[in-house]
Amino acid sequence: MQLDFAARELTIKLVYYGPALSGKTSNLQALHRLADPGSTGRLMTLETRDDRTLFFDLLPLTFKSAGGLSIRLKVFTVPGQVIHASTRRLVLQGADGVAFIADSRATETDHNAESFMDLKENLKAHGLSLRQMPLVIQFNKRDLSGIRSDEEIAGLAAQGREPTYLAIATRGQGVVETFIGLLHLTYGALDAEHDLGKKFGFDADELLAQVARGLGSERLVAELLAACVGGALDVLRPEVSS
Amino acid sequence: MTHAGEAIRSTDEIAFGAVRLEELVDRAALTEMLESFHALFEVPIRVFSAEGKLLAEVAPPLEMYTYLGHFRPAREAVQQVVQAVKHRSLEAGGEAAERCVTGARYRVLSITYDSRELGRAILGPFVPAELAQPPEALAALDPGLDPVELARLFAAMPHARDERIAAAARHLLRTLDLILFSGHKALLTSNMHLASVRESYRELEDKNAKLQEAFDRLKELDRLKSNFLATVSHELRTPLTSIIGYSEMLYEGIAGEMPNEQREFVGTIREKGEQLLELIKGLLDLSKLESGTMSLTKANLDVGPIVADVAQTLTPTARKKGVSLAVSVDEALPRLWADAARLRQVLLNLTENAIKFTPAGGVVTLSARVTLMSAARGDDDGGGMVLLQSRRPAIELRVADTGIGIPPEERGRVFDAFYQVDSSSTREAGGTGLGLSIVKRLVEGHDGTVSITDNQPRGAVFVVSIPCRRATIS
Repeated sequence: MQLDFAARELTIKLVYYGPALSGKTSNLQALHRLADPGSTGRLMTLETRDDRTLFFDLLPLTFKSAGGLSIRLKVFTVPGQVIHASTRRLVLQGADGVAFIADSRATETDHNAESFMDLKENLKAHGLSLRQMPLVIQFNKRDLSGIRSDEEIAGLAAQGREPTYLAIATRGQGVVETFIGLLHLTYGALDAEHDLGKKFGFDADELLAQVARGLGSERLVAELLAACVGGALDVLRPEVSS
Repeated sequence: MTHAGEAIRSTDEIAFGAVRLEELVDRAALTEMLESFHALFEVPIRVFSAEGKLLAEVAPPLEMYTYLGHFRPAREAVQQVVQAVKHRSLEAGGEAAERCVTGARYRVLSITYDSRELGRAILGPFVPAELAQPPEALAALDPGLDPVELARLFAAMPHARDERIAAAARHLLRTLDLILFSGHKALLTSNMHLASVRESYRELEDKNAKLQEAFDRLKELDRLKSNFLATVSHELRTPLTSIIGYSEMLYEGIAGEMPNEQREFVGTIREKGEQLLELIKGLLDLSKLESGTMSLTKANLDVGPIVADVAQTLTPTARKKGVSLAVSVDEALPRLWADAARLRQVLLNLTENAIKFTPAGGVVTLSARVTLMSAARGDDDGGGMVLLQSRRPAIELRVADTGIGIPPEERGRVFDAFYQVDSSSTREAGGTGLGLSIVKRLVEGHDGTVSITDNQPRGAVFVVSIPCRRATIS
């Protein structure tokens, strides 16, 4: 996160993490398509010759509040392929929130788990723990066959901590829900830690509503948040040291 | 964690860093682009950074302004307009028009990237096409201004239709946006490359440190093992000497005559005891050599007699196996500064080995000749001879056999302690696998080298080179 009091600007870094080919870039492409042109710049993709992400994709989103405050959201993806371990760690640096994009196919279960452990390790390398990181999980590719059932995912998600969403990123389904869920947790945690509301005059509800509108959603933020099939939407609070 | 800190800085730049126009575009190339723009639209153009620094311009001097420059009020009025144009406040992404006293116009464009203003482009001055005459106010600025001259210069100024300039402005911003995006992308890519390289380097350093730690620990363990071996061998030797001594006395009948069968058994005990003693001595030698506590008693000596002695000692063994033992020692070999007993041990060991691995009817050849010491290692392919050959003479001792030979990939390892090319050969040929490692260490104790080459048509040659003392050269 970066606060520029003079320019009345808040910059938040969000990272889409997950195994190779789980649809992280597809999520960003969908967000880019949905966002109104005034709010987003070009989707920057640093890719290899075979269209796989080499370093990262970067989608800049900018929202201006009525009070003249700017919220700049920098949405990154990490390269999923195993060989890009150090790049993933670099991209994760300074992340304020993480969306974990999992592949719904039953055969990908192990890859999802491996990538999640990798996320955990890389957070540890930055001196962070999963507990401190606002995190949502998306089960993508719901349109494919051989996927784990809605009931199975909902059952597991209900036992877990992280808000979990179902999506078909290539069709834009579940993409905004995931993003709003992530922003809700991330902004909430930053606000709790830095008291943005008081110091800066940001209003969390207004911000989320504005982002949802900017992403072309007609639905209320509460509805979008409620799309999660399990996990808790409670905002992380900094631990009070005794 | 200094490296990680640097990496954080560069990725933070990627996430949050505000880019600057002058970082993303090359000034010379920008000027070229503006020239082409000017050629198309014939309107002066300037690009300023966010701080108001002129980055590029294509604006041929206009005679009108040179002329006005001679009249103070006119000059001041023009300067006022220029200041207004430069400092005009603009919304990000917006544009504004400014009028000049000459009737010409300026169009001020905000160059915006990622919702931030990076700089400005100023088009103009140009005269709107519909304006045929300079405004009357211009001539009124100073009584000295000549209306006829003003009209002439006015006509010579660039004229353009407003819509055309608006289209040109859009085109310019589009082009700049493309350049900025590409430049930004390239900047991020190179930053990421740098950060990745730094991160990989840091990872490697971490790994190296861990490996070094593991290596140090292993070295320490190895040292402890050698110490242990030395202690144990020493302690084993004492009771064993008694066992051998007493069985020898029994065998000799000192404690009274024994029936033949008993005597034979006692003989076996003694024989095996001696084998065990040899083995323990070997272990002790090895551990002493490894820990560097082996002391060599060096003296100036002739190699010839040692070779002859070894051959003589092993002739019975060779004969028993049906292997012939040949000796070839060059005449007038220089003397060697060496430990006679240890040198003998080296030769004895190599020759014994050679006999062991040579089938009946084969030949083992022991030879000694003078050569020049090479700085090249044993695995060298013989290149760079002219550079590597030292002027120091050495004595080369060769033990050649006609046995099964040693495959090239095994040649480095046969000198490792306890190593056997084929463990099944141990049962067949006997031996502990200590001999060659002792040989190597003893030779190294003489600053020499030992290597293996092929014997033609079959078999292996162990080549021991020991340098003569420098003093013996002259």
